[in-house]
Amino acid sequence: MSADSFTTASASTASESIPEMVPAVSQQNEQVQFRTEAGQLLLVLPAETDPAAGLGWSDLLQQLQQRLSAGKRFWQFQAPVHLVVANRLLDGRQLGAIAESLAAAQLQLKRVHTSRRQTAVAAATAGYSVEQDSPSALNQATAASALADPLYLQTTVRSGVEVRHPGTVVIVGDLNPGSAVVADGDVVVWGRLRGIAHAGAKGNRQCRIMALQMEPTQLRIADQVARGPATPPTQFQAEVAYVTPGGIQIVQATDFSKN
Amino acid sequence: MNRVIVVTSGKGGVGKTTCTANLGMALARLGRQVALVDADFGLRNLDLLLGLENRVVYTAIEVLAGECRLEQALVRDKRHSQLVLLPAAQNRNKDAVTPEQMKKLVEDLKPKFDYILIDSPAGIEMGFQNAIAAASEAVVVTTPEISAVRDADRVVGLLEAQRVEKMHLVINRLRPAMVQANDMMSVQDVQEILSIPLLGVIPDDERVIVSTNRGEPLVLAEERSQAGTAFENIARRMEGEKVEFIDLNVSQDNFLTRLRRLFLG
Ligand SMILES: Nc1ncnc2c1ncn2[C@@H]1O[C@H](COP(=O)(O)OP(=O)(O)OP(=O)(O)O)[C@@H](O)[C@H]1O
Ligand SMILES: [Mg+2]
Repeated sequence: MSADSFTTASASTASESIPEMVPAVSQQNEQVQFRTEAGQLLLVLPAETDPAAGLGWSDLLQQLQQRLSAGKRFWQFQAPVHLVVANRLLDGRQLGAIAESLAAAQLQLKRVHTSRRQTAVAAATAGYSVEQDSPSALNQATAASALADPLYLQTTVRSGVEVRHPGTVVIVGDLNPGSAVVADGDVVVWGRLRGIAHAGAKGNRQCRIMALQMEPTQLRIADQVARGPATPPTQFQAEVAYVTPGGIQIVQATDFSKN
Repeated sequence: MNRVIVVTSGKGGVGKTTCTANLGMALARLGRQVALVDADFGLRNLDLLLGLENRVVYTAIEVLAGECRLEQALVRDKRHSQLVLLPAAQNRNKDAVTPEQMKKLVEDLKPKFDYILIDSPAGIEMGFQNAIAAASEAVVVTTPEISAVRDADRVVGLLEAQRVEKMHLVINRLRPAMVQANDMMSVQDVQEILSIPLLGVIPDDERVIVSTNRGEPLVLAEERSQAGTAFENIARRMEGEKVEFIDLNVSQDNFLTRLRRLFLG
């Protein structure tokens, strides 16, 4: 693939960008998150807002499994995990399933933080230590201004999976057609980017999308949209997508870093 | 060591039941004790493909309801006594069974068989959840079409999440001539997306349809076919043998295309 056709590809992408504005993502549901706070590994489940719209139990478990297997190399052997469930109701069976998943990744469920009495009882019955925090003390949402720590996933993101994160997302693996990554920071794909990538989802146009092989279904940065070129190039080099006054542009990574 | 393997795909009609029947028969012919479990409740047809329809008396439902013993529901194959079928109920809907019940059934089957192959229904709903609940391995079947591969990819993700981590890929209904004309995804194209190890490639072959209609798995046919050999090779690979992939192009190739031939099978 010559530099010329890259220019063509990016020019056409740029001209196709704009018309539709990206829908706001802020009100979308949060996802399962691992965070380290004060040296403790926290597993934070999204708060239950509207049960009908919220993340169902099986989706939640699936997200947890994926985060666990995609972060495998970084978990410390038998590290204790603090499960922060806020106002979500969990029964003994569900707590057991979470503990089992953690155990399969060599992590240990140690303490459950909840604001619900029923969950606290279930957790205590199952033999975990319980902390019945008030919802406000849980500091559920990350501070609005600061981004969360980058989310590093070593996995193939497969069709039907959507990864959302209030920070930068690094995927070591492919982003397959039919999948999506929505990040408030940058999106870095160390592999083939064939799905949808959305960087700066809270509106930051400075954010970038980087991939070893750019064959996106769609790229989004802040409120800008670009479709991938209709005929994908046959050879690839690492590329960077960023916002210019003319819309989203794609350039070779080697050229980008010279700017 | 007994293995519980679910045959699944996401998209319907790509050849799950055909694969289950043929692989089951091929493994039985290799001397293994094989149980085939039809998990397609409401739309069973594994018994048809095996030509065992008229021998079905009880189904998994009666076993679960305690109306018969498990052994009574098992239909032994008339040609190969190493092979048995646990039929699904035709008249009940898919929600008649829970994943826990499937696990129980398979647990009970396990001690007596080397292989338990579970034929999964299409889709990713309850029926699929039932089919994968008891499995520790999966054979993911797809055709070389974008929509089938997309669904297979989704299924691979769901299997990973359920910690069915040992997965193998079977690409069915490949048409080498179409691949060469760039009108069909190649084996490499499919593998690039799904990135799970390839177990085998089965050519599109009308004899598969004939064998379906006769209720006689292709691996039993006297006249050898590429599709039949492909199924046998898959069974041997499942047994841990290293079997070369057949070159599906060889017969219709000229020298030039053979230079860039694709190794399949
Ligand atoms: N390699 C092949 N060549 C030609 N026809 C095939 C091949 N494999 C399967 N078929 C045909 O495709 C049809 C569907 O196959 P089959 O019933 O095995 O699919 P399935 O995945 O089990 O479908 P369902 O999702 O409905 O359960 C059948 O008519 C079968 O004969
Ligand atoms: Mg079927």
